[in-house]
Amino acid sequence: MTDSVAANVEQWTQTNAEFTDAAAERAWSRSEITWGVFKIPESVVGALGDVNGLDVVELGCGTAFFSSWLVRRGARPVAVDPTPAQLATARRMQEESGIVFPLVEAPGEAVPLPAASFDLALSDYGASLWADPYAWIPEAARLLRPGGRLVFLTNSQLAHLTLPEEDVTPGSTLQRELFGMWRTKWPTYPGIEYHLSHGEWIRVLREHGFTIEALHELRPGEDAVDPTYYYAHPVEWARRWPAEELWEARLR
Amino acid sequence: MSSAEPESVAVNREVWTRSNEKWGDAAALAAWQEAEITWGNFRVPESRVRALPELDGLDVVELGCGVAYFSAWLARRGARPTGVDPTPAQLESARRCQRETGIEFPLVEGYGEHVPLPDASFDLVLSEYGASIWADPYRWVPEAARLLRPGGQVVFLCNSTLSLLCMPETGPVKDHFVRPQFGMHRFDWRSDADGIAFGLSHGEWIRLLREHGFEILKLIEVEPPADAVAVEAYDYVPAAWATRWPSEEIWTARKR
Repeated sequence: MTDSVAANVEQWTQTNAEFTDAAAERAWSRSEITWGVFKIPESVVGALGDVNGLDVVELGCGTAFFSSWLVRRGARPVAVDPTPAQLATARRMQEESGIVFPLVEAPGEAVPLPAASFDLALSDYGASLWADPYAWIPEAARLLRPGGRLVFLTNSQLAHLTLPEEDVTPGSTLQRELFGMWRTKWPTYPGIEYHLSHGEWIRVLREHGFTIEALHELRPGEDAVDPTYYYAHPVEWARRWPAEELWEARLR
Repeated sequence: MSSAEPESVAVNREVWTRSNEKWGDAAALAAWQEAEITWGNFRVPESRVRALPELDGLDVVELGCGVAYFSAWLARRGARPTGVDPTPAQLESARRCQRETGIEFPLVEGYGEHVPLPDASFDLVLSEYGASIWADPYRWVPEAARLLRPGGQVVFLCNSTLSLLCMPETGPVKDHFVRPQFGMHRFDWRSDADGIAFGLSHGEWIRLLREHGFEILKLIEVEPPADAVAVEAYDYVPAAWATRWPSEEIWTARKR
């Protein structure tokens, strides 16, 4: 097992206590599907298409608000996350909302679900950022049926290259090299993140049988507000350079 | 689609006529005689980059061939290239090299936005710092799609999107962004005695290529070797930058 899993369970147990547990109720109750820290509406992005009737696996679901949005649109999600505390929050929200779907404790690198059993694999700052892509991309390919789609959102390449290690307001100076980018351990957090260059995302996706359908470089709306809890680029930055990006790929 | 010559073609023809007089013509024959296929300003070998399909027997059109050394390299490997360029002075240098080397192939005066060649007549559209940066992608990518047979590939090298974000109006590349990425398209370098170039974000390249029927195969972020030195005429990105971040990238895509 990748050694980042334990570090990230520690990270997300802490984050859940500080933020995501309290934020879960509001996230579950929102009627609109939105992406990322700037809450960009899916109606603007257009990455998911019609999810009615689809078998969906969400890799790194956290408190599983995204899966709850999909249930309300007729999808059948299975939500997977390695952090027990977040799954406990998700279970509490299921009891409170009556929206119930399977929750599975596992990291994106090794998912205990059968091959070729999903139409859509989804990750919104989940496995897409916190799991090793050289392990979770093949898992996504294994879980999908032929023709199934993979949709994932993560920090943009430009945001990662320019995010300082210290908690200062991020600017646009390059902080780290692109060549060799893969695994990042920030000095101030226990968690371990994974970022690939665009060329390497394309290579690893194609190696595992995916066709590249889109790279959405997300731009928040003029009325977007700065992220509250997470250390990230402010909205003023994200209006000039994409801070988040969303890949769409289809299994051949 | 309008066939009116874009403003950038006239501007770039003038820039390349001057550049050819200063550098291109004198360097042409040596470039034609290089044994190895190399890419970009750091001459990274194709054997490392692996961007090209098997070349033997392919009909190739090079868009923005300049003095056509790349087409000469392809001809020596069994391909049948046609070199297209809007600058007569560069085509004249190419013709001289053809006479001196005996490597001959068609040279056509034309620009990437409007290529006077028939539909579906090539297996490979190639551009190395040619139409790939000097022609408007919203016009040359559809032309590439038109020229290719089904299953054919487009392979093109351009300035990396990241280097364009870090490139000031004049002088060498910076280690910070000097312009926004949203809206990236046309770069007017005339204040630096250069031409009008084009570049897109990666998401927009993918969208545009797919819109015109291409399947994305590769985005190769070219990494020069540690001891690389930039070609003298193109030293706006020093090796110290280009060994940390890609200054050049190659897209490969297949027409469905």
